[in-house]
Amino acid sequence: MATNSIRKRLVASIFVAQLLLVVGLVDVAVFVTRTRLRDAFDVALNGRVMSIAALVRYSETEPGKLFFESNLTPRSLGSEAPDIYEVFANGHTLIARSPKWPGKHGVAPPRGDRWISTYVVNGVPYRALRIENIPVLDAEERTPQRVYLTVTYASPVTPVIRAVRQVLIYITIGSLLLLLASCAFSLWALRRSLRPLSELAESAAAVSPANWKLNPPEEASETLELQPLTHAMTSMLAGLRQAFTQQREFLANAAHELKTPVAILKSTLQSLAHRPRSSEEYREGLDEALEDMARLEKLLHSMLRLARAEQWAAGNLRRDLASVDIGMTCQAAMERVHAVADQRGVFVDFSAKSTMRMVADPDDLELVWSNLLENAIRFSPDRGTVRLTMRSDDRRGYVEVADDGPGIPAAELPHIFERFHRGDASRTRNTGGYGLGLAISKAIVQAYGGTIELHSAPGSGTRMVVSLPVTTVDEPMVAVV
Amino acid sequence: MRVLIVEDERRLAQNIARSLRESAGYAVDIAFDGEDGLYMAQTNPYDLVLLDLMLPKIDGLNLLKRLRADGGEVPVLVLTARDEKESIVSLLNAGADDYVAKPFDLGELLARAKALIRRGKGHSDSVLKVGDIEIDTSSLTVRRKGELVVLTAMEYRVLEYLAHRPGAVVSKTELLEHLYDFNWERFSNVIEVYISGLRRKLEDDEEDRLIHTLRGQGYMLRT
Repeated sequence: MATNSIRKRLVASIFVAQLLLVVGLVDVAVFVTRTRLRDAFDVALNGRVMSIAALVRYSETEPGKLFFESNLTPRSLGSEAPDIYEVFANGHTLIARSPKWPGKHGVAPPRGDRWISTYVVNGVPYRALRIENIPVLDAEERTPQRVYLTVTYASPVTPVIRAVRQVLIYITIGSLLLLLASCAFSLWALRRSLRPLSELAESAAAVSPANWKLNPPEEASETLELQPLTHAMTSMLAGLRQAFTQQREFLANAAHELKTPVAILKSTLQSLAHRPRSSEEYREGLDEALEDMARLEKLLHSMLRLARAEQWAAGNLRRDLASVDIGMTCQAAMERVHAVADQRGVFVDFSAKSTMRMVADPDDLELVWSNLLENAIRFSPDRGTVRLTMRSDDRRGYVEVADDGPGIPAAELPHIFERFHRGDASRTRNTGGYGLGLAISKAIVQAYGGTIELHSAPGSGTRMVVSLPVTTVDEPMVAVV
Repeated sequence: MRVLIVEDERRLAQNIARSLRESAGYAVDIAFDGEDGLYMAQTNPYDLVLLDLMLPKIDGLNLLKRLRADGGEVPVLVLTARDEKESIVSLLNAGADDYVAKPFDLGELLARAKALIRRGKGHSDSVLKVGDIEIDTSSLTVRRKGELVVLTAMEYRVLEYLAHRPGAVVSKTELLEHLYDFNWERFSNVIEVYISGLRRKLEDDEEDRLIHTLRGQGYMLRT
């Protein structure tokens, strides 16, 4: 099975994002709660400090002496441990101290008017508030000097901690439950919204060489994100179908075309083997069989060449190419068809109006020209003339092959470049043609980004014009005598 | 027997012709395109036409249709590179009697050709019987009262042709046309030689004639 699931990854991302959110929320909630509770606690501490300070009175019996009404001390703020306090007058005279006060210097040294801190006494966390310079409340006019009190009051902070912890627990549990629910929902929603994708996959699986039509489900074609995929698949299928059909046709044509040369070879060998013959007859028969083989070989070679050129035209096979003088390839092609032309007494007239170069494989160009020339010679009247012309304009180079043959009937024109098409079977076959030459030429020319045009009408000869993107064009040098 | 081959592949046509001549003793004419083929089939009395389909000028199927439309009843054996059902059906509907698919076996082609000729003459057995004479058209042998009679190739061809139509009068011209290819007129004086040869080998006495001569009309095989 697949190791990567979009659904799982999406759900994981959603989970992580929501988890971060939860952690943040809990953090903020805890912070806010703790701050608020501590502020309230501090306010309460402040109240207690003031209450304690209010318990310091001047003695009515001993003027100027301060005493502390310890029986009026307020209730502890919490219930776990008793609150503790300490009162000094003018910073050094101890006036009162709660019974549980931890040691002589249990509390941090007094500095500043107001001081607040948290510390641990007897294993219980306390929060202490110290306020200095509190005037004694019941000071009278007769009091000789003003006395200022320093009151420290501490209360266990446990209730605050407990409350904060509870808030933390409730929020965390609640958020995690919501998180689970949201993940389950995301899973369901994702599955639901990914359904068009699996439906599209099903319809794609139904495509086969027997059924090329992709029937995308309505939901898929209406889904914005799937439209590019559907379009891509449709156009890919169209391309594949065309290539497939082309290959199948080629194979069918090839198999059909191979039957005749195979039938000839077979009949030659069978009639030779039919009864005992003289060694002279055997030799003749073997020569004939070899000729038949050569024709078969030529056909196979042409078919392979065509298949390669077409593959190449489709962009599948690039070769290292070099700059080629087109005129040179024309001359090489003329040499190649020399024998055929001589046999028919046909004269090939070559005129170059300019020198052209292009990046190509010289063998390819030579093959194109010789195919066109062979064709023209084949259809030329005996002792006729075939004209091979090279010319160019600003951008393109043109190579033209023209003959004075009977021309091509209009009905046949669209089929001329089809594979295995033959004009007049008797004439082409006798020169060894299999109707592949023009198809090969067209495929090669197209592979080089060129075009091949046919101008012909019965009675006015045939003109084949190959147009190629040439790299350099020079006017021919004019010899000055 | 005289056979016409219409086939534009010269080598193939010549190989088939050689086989027909060597192993069946048939006279064979060859046409290399549809136009010549149709003309020859319409003007000469062939016992069988071997017809290729891909032909220049007139293709095989059209040739066949025109031949049949013209009233030609000669058996036609088609040589085809296509073996799809539709083309076979349209071939048979157009009047073909049989077909062989390329690349074919020469032996099979010969057997089918002989069978078509026999059926064209109204026989389905490859052994023809007239009186006490048995002619085996597959091994080209003749037996009289069970005993092998040695004949020359031409004697055999005359006898086989006559035996296909026992009791009918066959003119000398017809014999010549069917036993020789288009050069038959050069051989016009040799039929008598073969007839007398056959009589010498197959008849015991003049009273018990097997091959009858009808002066001015031709020959007849009858017991």
